[in-house]
Amino acid sequence: MLGWELPPFFAGGVGMVCYHLTKALCDHGVDVTYVMPFGPRMICSGYMKIMVADHLFPKLRFKLKEVETLIGAYTTPESYGEDYQKYLASLSSKDRSKSLYGPNVFQEAQLFARKVRLIAFNEDFDVIHAHDHWTFPAAIAAKKASGKPLIVHVHITEFDKTGGTGVNQRVYDMEREGMHAADLVIVVSNFVKQRLMNNYGVPEEKIRVVHNAAEMMDETADHDASKIKETDKIVLFIGRITLQKGPDYFVEAARKVLEKDQNVKFIMAGTGDMLPRMIERVAEIGIANKFIFPGFVSRDEVAKLNKIADVFVMPSVSEPFGLVPLEAMWQETPAIISRQSGVSEVLNHVLKVDFWDVNDIAAKTLALLHYRSLHQQIKQHGALEVRNMTWEGPAQKCMDIYKELAGNR
Amino acid sequence: MVSVCFYFQVHQPFRLKKYSVFDIGNNSDYFDEEKNKEIIKKVAKKCYLPTNKLLLKLIKRHEGKFKVSFSISGVALEQFEKYAPEVLHSFRELAKTGQVEFLSETYHHSLSFLFDKQEFKQQVLMHKQKIKDLFDQEPKVFRNTELVYNNELANFVQGMGYNAILAEGADHILGWKSPNFIYTPKTAENMKLLLKNYKLSDDVAFRFSNKGWNEHPLTVEKYGRWISENNGKGHLINLFMDYETFGEHQWEDTGIFEFMEKLPEEILKHPDNDFVTVSEAAEKYPSVAELDIHNFMSWADVERDLSAWLGNSLQNSAAQELYKIGTIVKKTGDPALLSDWRKLTTSDHFYYMCIKWFSDGDVHKYFNPYDTPYEGFITFMNVLNDIIIRVRELQKQKQSEDKKLTYAQTTQVEFSHNMISETPSLTLIDPEISLSKIE
Repeated sequence: MLGWELPPFFAGGVGMVCYHLTKALCDHGVDVTYVMPFGPRMICSGYMKIMVADHLFPKLRFKLKEVETLIGAYTTPESYGEDYQKYLASLSSKDRSKSLYGPNVFQEAQLFARKVRLIAFNEDFDVIHAHDHWTFPAAIAAKKASGKPLIVHVHITEFDKTGGTGVNQRVYDMEREGMHAADLVIVVSNFVKQRLMNNYGVPEEKIRVVHNAAEMMDETADHDASKIKETDKIVLFIGRITLQKGPDYFVEAARKVLEKDQNVKFIMAGTGDMLPRMIERVAEIGIANKFIFPGFVSRDEVAKLNKIADVFVMPSVSEPFGLVPLEAMWQETPAIISRQSGVSEVLNHVLKVDFWDVNDIAAKTLALLHYRSLHQQIKQHGALEVRNMTWEGPAQKCMDIYKELAGNR
Repeated sequence: MVSVCFYFQVHQPFRLKKYSVFDIGNNSDYFDEEKNKEIIKKVAKKCYLPTNKLLLKLIKRHEGKFKVSFSISGVALEQFEKYAPEVLHSFRELAKTGQVEFLSETYHHSLSFLFDKQEFKQQVLMHKQKIKDLFDQEPKVFRNTELVYNNELANFVQGMGYNAILAEGADHILGWKSPNFIYTPKTAENMKLLLKNYKLSDDVAFRFSNKGWNEHPLTVEKYGRWISENNGKGHLINLFMDYETFGEHQWEDTGIFEFMEKLPEEILKHPDNDFVTVSEAAEKYPSVAELDIHNFMSWADVERDLSAWLGNSLQNSAAQELYKIGTIVKKTGDPALLSDWRKLTTSDHFYYMCIKWFSDGDVHKYFNPYDTPYEGFITFMNVLNDIIIRVRELQKQKQSEDKKLTYAQTTQVEFSHNMISETPSLTLIDPEISLSKIE
């Protein structure tokens, strides 16, 4: 498996999916050789590396292969440029000519591919399972080196990231090449399947939909939010404050809610390029005192926020899957989610909206805040629903796909 | 000798529009006229008109030997008047044959008996009047919404002068007994209780087109045989079903119309068999035993109880809040308001809030105009809140005219205190989850 940073290194949604899937596969008797990109971006010590390998997965089933690279799960060509400059700056002047990494992300991807090819020569395996998307050149190299079938697992595409405009041609080409070189393509939702068929020319027969599942979390201790909740209800948004996640729709809906009910506070947790604009906007429309911007929040803080929130809103413009509402529902917080998301394909006990329909978002928020029996019922059923969404399902589907490609083993 | 008693239920609710919290206090246009009209016209075309035509043909053909019974809800009749008068005309043609009997039910197809017996009585009288006006018949037989039934109901209905009442022949109340006899309800010695033979009824209403059923295809010969097999083992076969079975639940291409066309002849092949209306059945056969049914039952879902409409806290709180304000609504004396409130008592609104099978997505989902039961609840409650605002407005007006307004009534309903405020703040009812005994 060619994946991304595993816990305790936090790589966002993709990393979490890699972790959960791998764990479930190991539990089901699949031997996983996990190639993990590893670089100075990740703060680590030798101990942590061992911890990953030894403590998270059954020893006999899991083998970790780190590969030095500067690329991360969410690297963009621009961010790579910055990371590279930082790296160079950290080297002493005489080492500068002996850079370990490529000067730009595409060359680095090729270097990475070469390293992975070596691993492919030396390891014994039945299938290659590569996750988005900088791993694709490496995956193709591994396929060529070993002759084994390749599965490419698409979590998000360049199209979704950029909203369709400003697609980076080289990134797009790389994604496309990976999808076409693969024997089968796994996608996380029908939403992504359509995207691949319409924008990447991938034939339908080659695509398999494997929806993500929910992370089974520990029960969080009750966070003391009594002060704030004395007077106000809380409506929560968690995610990158960027176009794709629809933060501006959240703000406009908040305004409508406040027109009818002043006793509500809105928490927008996360960072992103649109954050300054959002802060300006709430001030502009005079609701700044109703908003809280905590910035980046840790996993623990996410759990706490989810627990104290009364309503969770995910107004994503285009969300290939969307794990965040599952976390809210786990904490017994009802969720309002955009229909333009992969996760809306699998959830029943949520309220669904179109991301642009600010009135509907506000109306449903108000209904959840004011109709107690509704709030009660939907949060209970929702909590139950996510507890039943285990990684057993996707793991089993992946195993069926492996069997399909590699014959029974 | 076996008598076959066909009874058909005709009903369409006044469905609600997408009514959001922002509409509360701003518009009182709750019902989706477009959609309701569209549905009436569609079902008229697929079911009511062709089936009425067929029945008329069969009645004429069999010269008095073939008869059927109907119960048509008041809200359906109103919609026929508005959107499909030709349907009404065809029912009138059937009435004129003298072989078609109309039953009594609540005008609004409601569960009012469970909450407000006075309201129940009023709705039944309204319906009775409507049947008299349209079909020149005075119903003598009663059926409650969705065949919800128990001893208490039988007793009450007896008090209103009816001779017979219908109910579901559910296993849990019959035990070893057969639905093919007439029974006497406990506490209502003068009433005759007719029980649905659910096996034979559902063979037509549900299983008819199911290719996975081991008796598929259901031919008239086979079905006729099953009916006649009861000779000597029962008096009466009660085939109670939704009228929409013909053409809507079972589509035309399943052959349902051909089946129905040949059925009377097949049944009448045996000289011992005949067809009866519900009143004829009640008159012809004696009661064989008393049936004690204390808990409410119905003809819905596997459980045959009230859980399709009142099984979860959404349904319960919505129903309770609705019926709580009945008296105040009537006191305003505003007929439009009362009519709107009554349209909310239609049981379908609560059916749409059922979470029971939601994850499995089955029959409830098919008839549900909402994406989720939660949306059904939200829309209903929003409308209810607007009704309350209208009541308050009318009370305020009256207050200045009539000092004797009793605030005692308003406090019962947990109104928010902001009766006088400059900016209309949100004053939604926050129903408490108090599950009262609905037995």
